[in-house]
This record gives sequence, structure tokens and C-alpha cells, in this order.
Amino acid sequence: MESIKKGFWLGIRTTGMLARVIVPVYFLVALLSRYGGLEELARFFEPLMRIFHLPGEAALVLVLGNVVNLYAAIGAISAISLTGGQLTIIAIMLGFSHSLFVESAVVSRVGVPVRITLPLRLGMMVLAGWLAGILLGGVA
Amino acid sequence: MSLVAFLWDTTLNVSISIIELSMVIIPLMIIMQIMKDNLWLDRLTTILQPIGKRMGIRKAGLFPLLVGILFGISYGSGVILQSVESEEMNDKDKVLVAVFLVLCHAIVEDTMIFAAVGANGVILVMTRILFAFFLTCVTSRQFSQTRRKAYEN
Repeated sequence: MESIKKGFWLGIRTTGMLARVIVPVYFLVALLSRYGGLEELARFFEPLMRIFHLPGEAALVLVLGNVVNLYAAIGAISAISLTGGQLTIIAIMLGFSHSLFVESAVVSRVGVPVRITLPLRLGMMVLAGWLAGILLGGVA
Repeated sequence: MSLVAFLWDTTLNVSISIIELSMVIIPLMIIMQIMKDNLWLDRLTTILQPIGKRMGIRKAGLFPLLVGILFGISYGSGVILQSVESEEMNDKDKVLVAVFLVLCHAIVEDTMIFAAVGANGVILVMTRILFAFFLTCVTSRQFSQTRRKAYEN
């Protein structure tokens, strides 16, 4: 019983933490899309995102996930429309590489330098994203 | 759409997203807490031993590995750092655990929040585990070769 209570409050706290990140990101992306900024951004990143069979808007999701955290990426994902296949590609890419500032700090304290872990994560993001794009790019 | 309608719409949508995510996160946190409190992790560590051996990680490295895989690097950092500082892990264990964990951690939470917005959770989790396993094995082999070379010289 004690575990359930503790877990419940931990869940509430995590949800609160996530809301603090998702709400501003969601509003930002919604405003960008209302005033046309998102379209411009998407057009700019379209050639790059084509490597992963993703629309240009996905660049925003990838940057937010890597620089801030996965909740910020989720906030942006909720505000734009993507197919199931595209969502899975993004999820795989961000699965390998996200929250780089915070997590790199923790891992470097374990004694493994950032110059090893950072290229490993970014490299895997690109490689897996490219492969997943080929396999899942057309999935609705 | 007027600005007021737009703001109302956005507020509504973001609230729905957060409620949906809380439906995933709250039960998840309860299950994780039960696992932690009932020492299921120790039992799981024993089950993991053959897989750990494959990757070249000794028993001392398996507990922080499991905590990281399930709870994540940030949440699990306390336990992970504690294990590392206990000096039961050698350098090879540390590097291998770190390589696996940077690629694959918090698999339950990450998978569920992505699945909640419509990604394929099975593909996501399998890809992460397989690539992390493979790269940890490669790193492990690299380690043995460097050591052998040092010995021959």
C-alpha cells in the first residue's frame, strides 16, 4: 500500500514536471504554425529531414528533444501532424539521443568522457534514423 | 480563427495531451515503486547474468545497468553513481555499462510516452535494446584486444 501511495505521488510530480515543459513548447509551436514561422522553418530543414523520410517540421522536434528533453519533443509532436511511421522514426532517433546536456553530465561523472558518449549517441541517432526512414518512411 | 478561439483551442489540446500522458505515467510510477520496494531488481539482476556475461559486464555492473535501463540516467543517477563509487566495478565494467545506458535507458517511460502519441513501442524498444547490446559487445571486444596487445608488448 505504501508503495502504491508513494508511486502515485511520484507520478503526479512527474506529470507536473512534464506539464511545465510541454505547455510552453506546445504554445510556441502552435503560435509558430499560426503565424507561418513553422512553414518557413520546415521548408528550410526539408532537404536535411528527407534523409530520414521526415517532414521539415520534424527538425524542431529533434532539436527540442536533444537540447531540452523528451517532454519538450512530445510537446512539439502533439502540436504538428505526423504519420505513425514518421512518429516511430522520430521516437527511434530520439530514443538514442536526447537531453544531451543533463545526461552527458551524469555519464561523465561515471568516468566515461563526453567525447566518447556524445558522438556515439548522435551517430546512432543518424544511422538508426536513416535505416528506420527506409523501412518505415511509407508507413501510414 | 480569432486569437481567443485559437488560445482556447490550444489550451484545450495541450490539457488533453497532458491528461493522456498522466494516464501512462502515474500507473507506471506505481509499478516501478512496487518493484523497487519489493527488491524485484535483485532477482532480475540474477536473471540478467548470462546476458551480462555476453557483453563482458561482471555481476557488480548489472545492478546499475538494470536500474538505468528501467528508471533512466537522471532518475537512476543516485544508484548508478553509488555503484560506481563502491569500487566493485572495474574500468571495463564502467565503460560497458555507460555505453549500453547512453543508448538504452528509461525504456519503460520513454517507450510509453512515445507510444501514447502514436509511435510503435515494440519497434522502438527492440531497436534500442538490440543496438545497445550490439555496440556494448563491440566495445567489450575492443577492450580485450587492447589488453592483449598491451600484454604482448
